[in-house]
Amino acid sequence: MKPIASLFALVLLTASTAAAVAADAAPVARLASMRRLTESEYRNSIADIFGPAITVQGRFEPDRRIGGLLSASSAILSISPAGFQAYAQMADGIAGQVTDAKHRAALVACKPADVKAADDACTGQVVAQYGMLLFRRPLTAEESAARIKLAHDIAGKTGDFYAGLRYGLASLMAAPDFLFRTEYAVLDADGKSWTLDAYSRASRLSFLLWDSTPDAALLKAAVDGDLSKPDGVARETGRLMASSRLQAGMRAFYADFLELDTQVTKDPAFYPKYSEAVASSAREETLHSMLDLTLTRQDDLRDLLTTRKTYLNRTLASVYGVPYNFDSEWVPYEFAPETGRSGIITQVTFLSLFSHPNRSSPTKRGVALMDIFLCQPTPQPPANVDFSIVNDISNPSLKTVRQRLLAHATNPTCAACHTRSDPIGLALENFDSIGQYRTSENGDPIDASSSLQGKSFTGAIGLGQVLHDNPNFPACFARKLFAYGTGGNANLVTPPIYRSFVTAFSDSGYRVPALIKALTVNPQFFSAPPPPAIAAKTALNEVTK
Amino acid sequence: MKLHRRMLLRGLFQGSAVAMALPLLDCFLDGNGTALADGRPIPTRFGTFFWGCGLTKQLFLPKSTGANYEDMPQLAALKPYKAKLNLLSGYRAYVDSRANFQHWSGNAAIATGIAPNGDGQFDGPTIDQIIAGSIGKGSRFRSIEIACSGNKRESYSSATGGANVNPPEVSPTGLYTRLFGAGFQDGKGDFKPDPNILLQQSVLSVVAGDRERLMANAGAADKARLDQYFSSVRELENTMAVELQKPELIADVTIPGMPEEMTVNKSVPVLLKTVPVFSKLLAIGLATNQTRIFNMALTEPANTMFMPGDSHVFHQATHEEPIDPALGYQPATSQFSTHSMECFAEVVAALDAIREGDGTLLDHSLMLAYTDTSNAKLHAIDGIPMFLAGTANGKVKTGMHIAGNSETVSRVGLTVQQAMGLTVDHWGAESNLTNKPIGELLA
Repeated sequence: MKPIASLFALVLLTASTAAAVAADAAPVARLASMRRLTESEYRNSIADIFGPAITVQGRFEPDRRIGGLLSASSAILSISPAGFQAYAQMADGIAGQVTDAKHRAALVACKPADVKAADDACTGQVVAQYGMLLFRRPLTAEESAARIKLAHDIAGKTGDFYAGLRYGLASLMAAPDFLFRTEYAVLDADGKSWTLDAYSRASRLSFLLWDSTPDAALLKAAVDGDLSKPDGVARETGRLMASSRLQAGMRAFYADFLELDTQVTKDPAFYPKYSEAVASSAREETLHSMLDLTLTRQDDLRDLLTTRKTYLNRTLASVYGVPYNFDSEWVPYEFAPETGRSGIITQVTFLSLFSHPNRSSPTKRGVALMDIFLCQPTPQPPANVDFSIVNDISNPSLKTVRQRLLAHATNPTCAACHTRSDPIGLALENFDSIGQYRTSENGDPIDASSSLQGKSFTGAIGLGQVLHDNPNFPACFARKLFAYGTGGNANLVTPPIYRSFVTAFSDSGYRVPALIKALTVNPQFFSAPPPPAIAAKTALNEVTK
Repeated sequence: MKLHRRMLLRGLFQGSAVAMALPLLDCFLDGNGTALADGRPIPTRFGTFFWGCGLTKQLFLPKSTGANYEDMPQLAALKPYKAKLNLLSGYRAYVDSRANFQHWSGNAAIATGIAPNGDGQFDGPTIDQIIAGSIGKGSRFRSIEIACSGNKRESYSSATGGANVNPPEVSPTGLYTRLFGAGFQDGKGDFKPDPNILLQQSVLSVVAGDRERLMANAGAADKARLDQYFSSVRELENTMAVELQKPELIADVTIPGMPEEMTVNKSVPVLLKTVPVFSKLLAIGLATNQTRIFNMALTEPANTMFMPGDSHVFHQATHEEPIDPALGYQPATSQFSTHSMECFAEVVAALDAIREGDGTLLDHSLMLAYTDTSNAKLHAIDGIPMFLAGTANGKVKTGMHIAGNSETVSRVGLTVQQAMGLTVDHWGAESNLTNKPIGELLA
């Protein structure tokens, strides 16, 4: 998106209809949810609104994983004192750049009558433009007036129009309506159920598909009422999906889905080859190959777990032990069948994220496979865990991780979970803690035979095929995409919600674009819970029936 | 040899292990060195130090209680400070009808007085934030959090409870920038308030004006989140108000240059290098009144620190290493608890190295050190070890080992609050509710 062009479009837009719409919509809308912007949502929004020349320097608050996704925590976390201080500094830094001598000609759409004095008309114009983009809706009259007054007072005190404008803009970026995606609900046409208003719909679509703030055209569709109708939603979804920026949107989801934020440290005494360069290259390999398969080639999602195609750079080639006879930085590469590789579960990211710093962990890998790909989280282990018997490496029968783990799984309390997670993790034992291929451990050959829900298989290739054929994998992926888009907990996305779009996904041969379309036209995607008082009353009626 | 204090501070990041000296200038103190020259007392600071995975009972817990308890191998690094701290053992975190969320219930109960209802959540504000509400106002930052191993999710300080935590500094350079970067004033020469602050204050009042509209429209959960947000706005207003005043404590500190970028992770040798740097920066920050409250997390509760070349991380070792039948404990695992205490000793040392009036910064502080379990192998939450370091400006007697006899961990938290001057007569919930501070400790 070109920031300037969109701004001029908005000048017209805000001047004509937006104020009227805002006045109309305000009294009936109810704040249904608030989602704190993620770091990438924040950065992408600022880049789209002010252009890539504006730098964003600061620290973002940590999020946490709920139901397998960080995005779910954005709907429950707030902003701490230290976090707000960082946001306020970023707001000040961005506003300072936008209004400085270098950028103001390009980014401030009007010129004041006198640069040494306040100019409320010009300030009002700029505040309305950027306010709409930052708040993802038109400002209310009060919000706008407060900023104009602030800019007026500061311009008067400092004798500098741009100083006033700077702080006026900073106050928009420090506001809760920017830092949180505030979602407003209105009564649906049936007068009973609640649904998101047009601006909140625009944000949901844009942040899902582009990982960024709605562009001018999408906001215009909200103003015009298009987003309140299924065909309008479908049209805008199609437009956003046709853009190359869909890659950025899905990149953010895939990183969350695959838990690529997991902190990873490797013990250099065991793995001197591993470095931050390896870690970041590996993340890029995973995202690049996943985007290529799902969006560029539009192949069957399930092939992610079986394909031998990937992308490599020189750093990764050394970890994978393959020659790198290429000039370019990244090249497509296909592993030979005998390498035992099978899709993203045998990439360096997955294998290294779910291992210990100094050795592989079938349990960690098994738990992650079940949770990430099948939406089957593992309960906490019992309090009194005693693995010591299986760690006795002086016992000649317990040389490999497999032997030690299986011995431990004879304990009935432990077995309940470990018989689920360990076998599938053991299928990846041919890969060490950083994902390098191996055939033996402490001198004993590795046995990578395994089973899942009654199906026996061997090694990563067998595991990849079994997961590929398991209908829970694409269903889990779809549930998580829905939860990601709506800010919910994937574990609470139940069959009545997901049945229709999972069916559409299946009918398409598991093409991700088809899933996205089916998901966004599903009325559930924009539905909002009833207000607490009404919800309580309904529940009471249920009981008295 | 008489060392010049500036030289010492400069030496901090050029050499290693140098003593640090006296930010609080004697000329700002009264004749006895016990108060500021204008009669106000030297402020009391409060901090926490958290480490994961507990202790090795046989190497950690003295048999005798009271003063002059026997020296224990895992506490060797703390021996120089034995007279300045208390070891607390045998207190219990009660979970009542709730689950024992492993590696969480124990530390959450110590921090809040309440056994949590869910993993990873606090069911009330943490004790440091309760104290910050009382004494945090006069400094630039309400509190400073540090995650020594570099993971920004490792913070155990929460103003509101729930899943919200205060984001930690995760590198020495980050901590340095926060404390001594933009907005820092050393108070030397003519004081000129930064005019930019006044303008930023007016930005905040515009932002605060959005409060009513949003609150009126929100459900209960979002109201609580907005409340936290607007509290954060008020905190920043307070910080700015402090920055507009001439600094209250004038320290003769040549603020050191930015420390070098360091590797930050959970390898024991790395932690033993980074924790002293974090600690010394923090101590200068406390001495110059950038904050009065701090929270340092050495690691997460299920502690994954590791020794290079050893195939086990700490938490994994607690479950997998056999108990040596002759020793009665896990020998390799026990090393990690010892290293955790070495790191704790670094923080204590950094505070004790700064002279203030008649004592040291440590004497004018109270630091609660605690962990998540006693015996991590069993996830035991009875007998979780704790320390209280410093006297809180003479409010706490030190040098003792106190046995808790399975009484609630909240007794420690209540004692801490009373020592910090809070008017509170009971603390905690359900079986962790208590109105009995530890009388032996209160001076």
